[in-house]
Amino acid sequence: MHDKHRWFKITDKSKVSESCVNALIEAGIEKASTTLILTRKHELNVESGRISLLRTTDDVELHMMGITDQRMGTTSINKTDSFSIGKAISELEVLIDSSDSDPANEIAEKQPQESFSRGPEKPDVFLMYSRMKVFLELCKAEYPTLIFEQVILNHTVKHRWYSNSNGVYFKSLRGGYDFLVMFTSKEGINTSSFNYVSVSTENLSSDLHEFETVKRTIKQSLEQTVTENLTGSFIGDVIVTPECMEDFVSIITGYLRDYHLMDGTSIFKDSLGKIIANERLSLHSKPVSDKLAVGYFFTEDGYKAENSTLIDKGVLNSFLLSLYGSRKTGKEKALNMGYCYVIDSGAFPLDEMVKSIEKGILLCRFSGGYPSSNGDLSGVAKNSYYIENGEIKYPISETMIAGNLRDMLESIKHISMERVNNGDSIIPWITFSGITISGK
Amino acid sequence: MNLSKYSDLFSGYTELRVQENRINSISMLDGIIIGNSRTSASGISARSYTSGSWGFASSPEINTNAIKYVIRTASNNALFLCRHEGRREADLPVSSASGEWDFTTKKPVASQMDRIDFVKNIDSYINDKFIKLASRTVLLKELDMEKQLLTSTGSMAFSMTPRSLIYVILTVDTESGQVQLSETFGNLGQFEDVFVEPSHYHQRLDKLYERILRKAEGVFPRAGISQCILDPNLAGILAHEAIGHTTEADIVQGGSIAADYMNQMVASPLITLVDFANTALGKTCPVPIYIDDEGTAARDVTVIEDGVLKSYMHNKESALEFKTDLTGNARAYRFSDEPFIRMRNTAILPGKNHLSEMIESVEDGYYLIQSSNGQADSTSEFMLGVVMGYEIKNGKLGRALKDTTISGVAFDMLKTVTAVSNDMSWNCAGMCGKKQPIPVAMGGPAIKCMINIGGSK
Repeated sequence: MHDKHRWFKITDKSKVSESCVNALIEAGIEKASTTLILTRKHELNVESGRISLLRTTDDVELHMMGITDQRMGTTSINKTDSFSIGKAISELEVLIDSSDSDPANEIAEKQPQESFSRGPEKPDVFLMYSRMKVFLELCKAEYPTLIFEQVILNHTVKHRWYSNSNGVYFKSLRGGYDFLVMFTSKEGINTSSFNYVSVSTENLSSDLHEFETVKRTIKQSLEQTVTENLTGSFIGDVIVTPECMEDFVSIITGYLRDYHLMDGTSIFKDSLGKIIANERLSLHSKPVSDKLAVGYFFTEDGYKAENSTLIDKGVLNSFLLSLYGSRKTGKEKALNMGYCYVIDSGAFPLDEMVKSIEKGILLCRFSGGYPSSNGDLSGVAKNSYYIENGEIKYPISETMIAGNLRDMLESIKHISMERVNNGDSIIPWITFSGITISGK
Repeated sequence: MNLSKYSDLFSGYTELRVQENRINSISMLDGIIIGNSRTSASGISARSYTSGSWGFASSPEINTNAIKYVIRTASNNALFLCRHEGRREADLPVSSASGEWDFTTKKPVASQMDRIDFVKNIDSYINDKFIKLASRTVLLKELDMEKQLLTSTGSMAFSMTPRSLIYVILTVDTESGQVQLSETFGNLGQFEDVFVEPSHYHQRLDKLYERILRKAEGVFPRAGISQCILDPNLAGILAHEAIGHTTEADIVQGGSIAADYMNQMVASPLITLVDFANTALGKTCPVPIYIDDEGTAARDVTVIEDGVLKSYMHNKESALEFKTDLTGNARAYRFSDEPFIRMRNTAILPGKNHLSEMIESVEDGYYLIQSSNGQADSTSEFMLGVVMGYEIKNGKLGRALKDTTISGVAFDMLKTVTAVSNDMSWNCAGMCGKKQPIPVAMGGPAIKCMINIGGSK
């Protein structure tokens, strides 16, 4: 645990990315970029309710990209010695030679050099242990039917350097804590579905069970050991929790990325500047937000990251295209790589949203197949509740929901005033109408 | 590398592992290479156990100083926890096994250009023959996992376990939107051994194209419980997701419903489900594990035998808790990952029925062929995305299906199985996610059962 013998000398690494770019150019490669990432992680793990494992891991990632005659190759190693770098450069030359010429291959143009830093570089391992211990003891005392499947608390620090042959140079340090808890509740032979929740934070100033998202999902689990089956099928409203909404945001933004736009399978490929959702919905990607514990300062393809609005009052405002994807599709490059999603809060308190529903469900976790190419999706409503006449009635099981992503976005009925900030996103509860809900 | 000389540095139970993962990846979209990359990640790790507490440390450097560092740091980490958590006077089960298993090709090494030519050949066949496609993607992905292990109880192992896969994704335009279907080719082995001749895949590509055209005219299945035949692809992912995860001992300790059903009927007597270590039905499995990453000789685990739940999968710690034998299921993905309980090659065993007769026996139901993904939870309730299937009407295949989802409670659903086909095939491309990714294989015969199908929006 202690770093008395600190073989991992970060200061020695600070010139590696620039030196690699120079070596690539000297090798005859026309355009080159490199990213060096040094990661150190301290991690506590729980097994059978006991803190059972402490990990200390170091890693290096050295990514090199080269372009000659519009042909591109990429190689990654986790070494920084000259022999390994020399071997990787030789491999990269082979990859470039074997590639196709593609005018879309390019590197970022010159920008001002910048350095960034945020979050604690070093962990407080004693505090990590203490917070974990208090959390486990509190849960054991207050929630005796709760069983932990996985509990992980880690501190990760990443040092990144990006350089390219156009003179771009960025470096950053980002440190913080991540907490993941996965659990089931069991009373006799009655078992709930598992659920999980994760939180990222720059400090451990409060106890882990004080995070609202942790407390709420654990309490829901305790209620879910006995469930009821819905019978038949109906069209109803679905309130999606912030934790579950993260998954839907991931699906939506997947359609805005390079691959789906390049191969033409994005359901939003012709929708830039057009209405794709109810006007209540505004979705942002904020990698440099002060309000989020997670983020990044520059993109993998060498641009300083900026916050962006993806959906502005229902209108698709931006794709999430990289430099390559942008040149390939002829559409504008994004201001960032996505993630760090923030959805604007709505006008309704959550209580009022529930009261407004005649028949529907509160969807807390969605276990579904990948959406089809036209946006159709279906799956099982997990850890969820039946709502009737404005009241949450009981937890349900073996209930499937089906809808179409485009229709769902257009059908947004309410967005809550309340939002959950779990460190890597800020998301409210959202009610979607017209969802097919099927019991056994 | 000679690890033995470092055994003097061990204090208490310790594992020392050197590992390198090498990935070669080529991506081609509509005939143009859009990705051509190689990745290598290697390093060393140590895991130490002291009176109930574990410590782990890893380093990307592989030299004497780094080895001393990881052993000392792992030991210090275990001692830190032991001091704070208290001692547990229980010794881990002891295992000792040795051996080398090297699946490196004996053929001349193919160049990157050879690989690209192979991918282009597949792509050209598709482009020349399948005229109704809107887009096509061909991906080659190779993973070599090379591990060397030494444990304080005397286990020494070396393995080089490669896997080579080609993914083909086709898209067609229809009046109601786009339809997509994919196929994966490949197996255990390096590129040179697995991908000998592109024409070997033409028949399967023809079948894929025929299916996507049928799917383009597909219909939604009727929502609700129906009589279904699950093809081996779906039976395999069901075996992995719904039964396999539920019976991993750490998941059992985490509240899985399987804790309540040991030695009870959880399936039809026609169902026997095994997590094979390395050899199944006389053949080497797609993901052969001979000695696991705790140094235990890996053995097959018969999870369900003739419908009765018989065994869980274990690592050393769970075997200690359950007071049972080791099974050799402890595996780690990267050098910087700690080993924990993972499946290997999980399959339902073949039965006595012919698939054609099984289909003929269904009056009104579905033949479900291909799955996109699957999930299951502690209750054994599962969900599988279904991307290819057909109606069965009066014993004959009918219209193709649009994408849908099936779900159920595995321990209930498997009791409805009334026929199991006499053939078996493996899905060699599985990558299981449970804190770390890990290559797995899933297999089985076709099964006839009642299942909840998702229907349409």
